[in-house]
Amino acid sequence: MISIHSKKGFDLNITGSPLPQTSPRETPVCVALLPEKIPFVKPRLKIKEGSQLQIGSVVFEDKRNPVIQFLSPGGGTVREIVFGPRRVIQKVIIQLDQEEERVSFPSYTDSQLADASRASLVEAILTGGLWCLFRELPFGDIPDPDIEPPSIIVSIDSREPFQPHPAVYLKGKADLLTAGIKILEKLSSSVHVSIHQDSDMPAGLAKGIVTHRVSGPYPAGDAGVLLYRTKKASAENRAWHISGQDLLLLAELIRTGQYPVERIVTLGGSLAREQLHIVTRMGAPLPHIAGENTGDPPRRRYIVGGIFRGYIAEKDSFLDLYATSLTILPEGDEKELFGFARPGSDKPTHSRTFLSSLKKAPFTVDCGVHGEQRACINCGYCDDVCAVDILPQFTLKSALAGEVEESLAHGLLDCVSCGLCTFVCPSKIDICAVLKGAREAYYKEMQD
Amino acid sequence: MAKWHPLFEATESFFFIPGLTTQADAHVRDSLDVKRFMSFVILALMPPFLFGMYNAGYQSNLASGASLTLLPVVLKGLLIILPLVVISYGVGFFWEILFAVVRKHPISEGFLVTGLLFPLTLPPTMPLWQAAVGISFGVVIGKEVFGGTGRNILNPALTGRAFLFFAYPAKMSGDAVWAVVDGVKTGAVDAFSGATPLSIAGLANAQEKIEAVLKAADYPFIKLLLGLYPGSIGATSALLCFAGAALLVVVGIASYRIIIGGIAGVLLTGYLLNFLAGDSSSAWLSLNPFYHLVMGGFAFGIAYMATDPVTAPGMDKVKWVYGFLIGMLTVLIRVFNPAYPEGIMLAILFMNLFSPLLDHIEIRLKIKKRVINV
Repeated sequence: MISIHSKKGFDLNITGSPLPQTSPRETPVCVALLPEKIPFVKPRLKIKEGSQLQIGSVVFEDKRNPVIQFLSPGGGTVREIVFGPRRVIQKVIIQLDQEEERVSFPSYTDSQLADASRASLVEAILTGGLWCLFRELPFGDIPDPDIEPPSIIVSIDSREPFQPHPAVYLKGKADLLTAGIKILEKLSSSVHVSIHQDSDMPAGLAKGIVTHRVSGPYPAGDAGVLLYRTKKASAENRAWHISGQDLLLLAELIRTGQYPVERIVTLGGSLAREQLHIVTRMGAPLPHIAGENTGDPPRRRYIVGGIFRGYIAEKDSFLDLYATSLTILPEGDEKELFGFARPGSDKPTHSRTFLSSLKKAPFTVDCGVHGEQRACINCGYCDDVCAVDILPQFTLKSALAGEVEESLAHGLLDCVSCGLCTFVCPSKIDICAVLKGAREAYYKEMQD
Repeated sequence: MAKWHPLFEATESFFFIPGLTTQADAHVRDSLDVKRFMSFVILALMPPFLFGMYNAGYQSNLASGASLTLLPVVLKGLLIILPLVVISYGVGFFWEILFAVVRKHPISEGFLVTGLLFPLTLPPTMPLWQAAVGISFGVVIGKEVFGGTGRNILNPALTGRAFLFFAYPAKMSGDAVWAVVDGVKTGAVDAFSGATPLSIAGLANAQEKIEAVLKAADYPFIKLLLGLYPGSIGATSALLCFAGAALLVVVGIASYRIIIGGIAGVLLTGYLLNFLAGDSSSAWLSLNPFYHLVMGGFAFGIAYMATDPVTAPGMDKVKWVYGFLIGMLTVLIRVFNPAYPEGIMLAILFMNLFSPLLDHIEIRLKIKKRVINV
């Protein structure tokens, strides 16, 4: 096992983190797919409103590569297809039947798996609709199944705030994890499994499975950071990655021949009614997970996908395909009199300019910017927290100036979009968004 | 009315942290903003500022033969310093607002620091109109023509001071400018020379030891450290400047690399020059290097000016180089260029020009080590 220490980063210590307990939810009335939230995909619908679906029926495929299919997370009737601006497909809402039917896919026993060829496994994953769980670095697109990646990185615990604990989602599923890694070994000759040193895992699981033990603050556990720390040559850049929980889904599909629809998501944040892990359905409605009613305060924000990388979700929306967390935070739109002069014993900060930096207790965060945007003053705080050393303050300027070569030389494509540069910036510049925009523009240009 | 929005915003945001919320990821943000960042510099400036006020009053009363008890001295200091500070902020803000309105950018908090730094680098006898001209030059040419705080290449306060130094040398150098003298000098106070330690040191003959000359002029090392002697308003007390620097380092706003690098540059250069000293060479060469730290404005400059993040390099390793070269240049200017008794101002401005180059060198070296990813 290789130990990797990543010094830079930041662990934000905040209230409302989910307890390592699970709470099951009853089956919701409807579930949904959110094609809009899957990056880069150009969906082509295979169903209409009113179509009858089974669990595992094809709902849409990617126009760019039609073998990549997205399957129905529930059995029932398509109740509504919601389009957004420019006919973007936002939601496909499926009303669930009492008795849901399932499509069955080929299944593999352990010995069959050992003998299976790469092509047959790729085929099984593609038809089983789970190819989308693989993501290709550095852009995060769904990889081309025909290409053998330089490596596949499994991040068992990314240590992003409020993501499911491995001790919870791996409980009783050690054999699935082993099977999942066997599948990956068929797909690529090099499989890295990383776990964070501070993660609690079910006992004995780490032995023989984990190849890299990482330590350090967020985002040390991220697949992109691991790649940055371990790569020796440019050929390794296009590695694939998959999260630990997604790997379990993959293994379940291959072993049972059934499209897995159970998900463990965290419910957290200071305004959540309870802070724990929820066992629910893929694509479940957010209110169903939050367990809220109309009496809750209106100034709260639903964040799906983590406080650093997630997006703001409508309160009546659904979990997207990749979502593993729902965080509910106060909006934080109150003005604060003489805020800049207060000692600030309760303010979350990376700097040492508040009394709170002397305390170890967790703080309540809100979604306030806590200041106004100013020009960059070159304080270098962003570089202090950048786990992949891309010098965000300089890369930001080259990206804004349109100097693509310069940005790339700085390591723009090593950026893992952890959001910490934006978090710490005292000038309140959204550095991460600029870098992400530059990266996406470059990707689009490369594809054309 | 809309074009006055920057003024409205500046006034409002002086009192309130605005209730803006994030619109996308990252959803949470650090509580630190530029205003608090700059407020800490102002907080760290308070010890030299308050002491400078006391010292200005003290030197003035000493020169005028007035009472040296606390209250009259402080009142006198207030009378001398406050108009300068008010002029600096008032005239500087006028330019800030004018540019903000015309160029439609927000008023940055950076000026809060510049507006206080600038008067502290002046002699207490500075005519107010000249102070106004100086801050105008500093703000307009030093900063606003480049686009405002964050985009300037030179420290605006020092740019203003350098302008005054070269435009009105009679009011910025010599022995008569460092204390405000009321009325006609009486015989009793004729003994007061008003010369700064640097100018006294500059007069020392080759055979003399500067330390002894300073001591004879009643400027022992400890007095130079504490700062109760004539000089630029905020810069006389090296001890308080280093205390302010320590605060800035502790809260993570000033770079300890620049400060320690600067001190090392002064000590090492001063020490090496001691080897050059012969019997007939300048007395400066044999000066104990620690005197360079406490004389003149070095402590003030390295603590508050050199650490300005906008004009200093952004890369950590070259910050050592930057600080070191500032220290070295300060000593070299003092020792080898008698035309300029003070070296720190020009040393910092000169190194400001080199920061982008220093950054460029370190960035290139860093990029070379990366595995290329395109």
